[in-house]
Amino acid sequence: MCEADATGGGGGGDEDGVGALFSALLEDSAEDLYENAPCGYLSTLMDGTIAKVNGTLLGWLGAGRDELVGRRRFSDLLTVGGRMYYETHIGPMLTMHGEAGGLALELKAADGSRLPVLVTSRVKKGEDGAAQLIRITIFDARDRRAYERELLRARQVSEAERDRARELASTLQRTLLPPSLMPVPGMEVAAYYHPASVDEVGGDFYDLFPLTGDSWGFFLGDVSGKGAEAAVVTSLARYTLRSAAVYNPEPVKVLDNLNTVLHQQYRGGDTRFCTVVYGSLVPDATGCAITLVSGGHPPAVVVRAGGVTEFLHTPGGMLVGAIPDAKFTEVTAHLGPGDTLLLYSDGLTEARPVGASRERYSEEELLDFLAASAATGASEVITALTALLTGFGDGVEDDTALLALSIPLPGSGDS
Amino acid sequence: MSTRFSTTTKAVPTGLVLTLAGELDSATAPAAHEAIQQLALRDGDQLVVDLSGLTFCDSSGIAALIAARSHAGRTGSSIALAAVPRHLSKVFGLLGLTDLFVVHPTAELAQQAPAAEH
Amino acid sequence: MDVTTRNNVTVLGRADGPAVVLAHGFGCDQNLWRLIVPALAERYRVVLFDHIGSGRSDASAWSAERYSTLDGYAEDVLEICSALDLRDVVLVGHSVSAMIAVLAANSEPDRFAKLVLLTPSPCYVDDGDYRGGFSRDDIDELLESLDSNYLGWSATMAPVIMGNPDRPELGGELTDSFCRTDPVIARVFARATFLSDNRADLPKVAVPTLVIQTAQDAIASQEVGRFVHEQIAGSELVTLDATGHCPQLSAPEATAAAILEFVGAP
Repeated sequence: MCEADATGGGGGGDEDGVGALFSALLEDSAEDLYENAPCGYLSTLMDGTIAKVNGTLLGWLGAGRDELVGRRRFSDLLTVGGRMYYETHIGPMLTMHGEAGGLALELKAADGSRLPVLVTSRVKKGEDGAAQLIRITIFDARDRRAYERELLRARQVSEAERDRARELASTLQRTLLPPSLMPVPGMEVAAYYHPASVDEVGGDFYDLFPLTGDSWGFFLGDVSGKGAEAAVVTSLARYTLRSAAVYNPEPVKVLDNLNTVLHQQYRGGDTRFCTVVYGSLVPDATGCAITLVSGGHPPAVVVRAGGVTEFLHTPGGMLVGAIPDAKFTEVTAHLGPGDTLLLYSDGLTEARPVGASRERYSEEELLDFLAASAATGASEVITALTALLTGFGDGVEDDTALLALSIPLPGSGDS
Repeated sequence: MSTRFSTTTKAVPTGLVLTLAGELDSATAPAAHEAIQQLALRDGDQLVVDLSGLTFCDSSGIAALIAARSHAGRTGSSIALAAVPRHLSKVFGLLGLTDLFVVHPTAELAQQAPAAEH
Repeated sequence: MDVTTRNNVTVLGRADGPAVVLAHGFGCDQNLWRLIVPALAERYRVVLFDHIGSGRSDASAWSAERYSTLDGYAEDVLEICSALDLRDVVLVGHSVSAMIAVLAANSEPDRFAKLVLLTPSPCYVDDGDYRGGFSRDDIDELLESLDSNYLGWSATMAPVIMGNPDRPELGGELTDSFCRTDPVIARVFARATFLSDNRADLPKVAVPTLVIQTAQDAIASQEVGRFVHEQIAGSELVTLDATGHCPQLSAPEATAAAILEFVGAP
């Protein structure tokens, strides 16, 4: 025993030395830690009356202990908004659940300044389970609040940038499409443009315009790629087609001219081309005669008055702008009362209707859809296809342009 | 670059065989252009572009094929497409590409008839 | 939609007793009544519910149009009374629901036997000689406080709410939704609550009314409580020796006693 004691005592000598050092530090700091902790401490009665407060918090508030203890409530230290929040939210929370944490509030200092803080409160209960007082810990949240404000500001800036980019894209898009189609005497015309993205300008384009006499020119095309570079080609294609049609209205010549212009423009490394259907129409006694030329574009569709649908194939028509001597082929058709001609871009026929595993929508399916829809006339056909596209949702990956021309049935009231 | 598109270049007695496999779209087209620019073609060579493994090709991919055609033309080479998948041959026909390229059922058959393409 | 599901209606107490409908105020839900429900349920048929966007109500029933004024909430109260076919109802409204109760009673006076307005305020913003207790700037500051706290509120409070071994009387499935509020809805509710002026509706109250206030209330002062009492002809005013805006929590016995005395025996 003695030995053991002696050994223990000897061994404990060193430990006591270190222990005493810690103990002295701890004893010395117990009250000091409370008073000068790096956070504010506050204890209140259950009605909020301040019972105890540490030096750190008094320093932040610029107040004396006597001004607060027994005289003020915790909510008196808050801004009015914070006080109302305390009464309607924090108070009930403490009563019902005994604690409330992570609350962002502001303290009012004696000099009128405000201190953003994070507040955590907990109810202390006696041995009998009755609530005795509320202990509140308060952290200085100036840095955090400044950081949050910076985050908020950065978010606002990025949102403004995004809005500006979208605004630019939509402005540019508008310059590439006619604001509204010109009315063609004795015909019904309708068009629809479905942008795949609000952030990027699409590469589809269409137009309808008067030529000499009572004939009209129209086109619908799709430039490879999207974004600003594609928009330049789209703009070039659109204005070239219109001026080429005035220069020489023969449809094959119009595409020849466009091909020459695009190919010369992009002869360098960066190949840019488009697919396009160009047509002219001449009204006659029973409707109108149509001549179409296609440069690598999906075939136009005719929906006959009786609901029969057919393609206007233009085999061998090449991409426009890819090679200097591209070949284009011509097809003619006649539209009678109730007949509709539809031009479309491949955003429609390459859409993936439902789910990623589903095959892309095909031209044949489009033909069947139009036959089954019983849509008659340009407006009805466009309305039916708009609904179809809406149904595809995210499945429409590319921009989609639609242009329809029809001869109204007698007595349908349209001009 | 993702694994959904790959390019392979192989030297053969008649020239080069460039194999494009996977999905060729706006995201992967730069890789195709890169491979095309690297092709060391000499006057009289034949470039065969093997498409047997191509599962998707949009307008960016078409642009790459046209770039390959131009590259071959500049170097005095001929170009042929081999094994155009069924789903693409329809689109190629629509775009008039069959008039721009000689098309063979396989890369091997393409190498047996290079002279006709000059 | 079924109104009782939409507003998470709970019916407790004596089935043959007078119907007492308790309408909670802004910031919480029907759990706020937990401490006084036992005393009331001994004698009355107690009907509890959550306003749309609070507690376990169906937030999908919310629309900014209907709930941007207190009238939408008053309509909900009337729909609940109608769905349960309640008659001679005693309607107890706390805080903003005191004014919702006034609007409901003025709209269908025959439906209600008595009103109890707990810490009411018809208008929080000072206006001429009227002292609601707050400036417009104060209210804007409150709305800002709500914005900065609501996101954190649901995230940090939920774990605390889930279990509460210290207070078994609060146990059960209701506690897990305590004070859970949809932030978007809360913002609109806060605006309707703190920017409404219902002073002109008070003189129209034709139902016997009890006003209960506390001695110390940072939200609705004694002066405001007196104003409500004076504006409603024949009303009674009780000032509890309690603090805070929620006497049903800070002084549940006294609050229940005041209601019991006013409503009377079944």
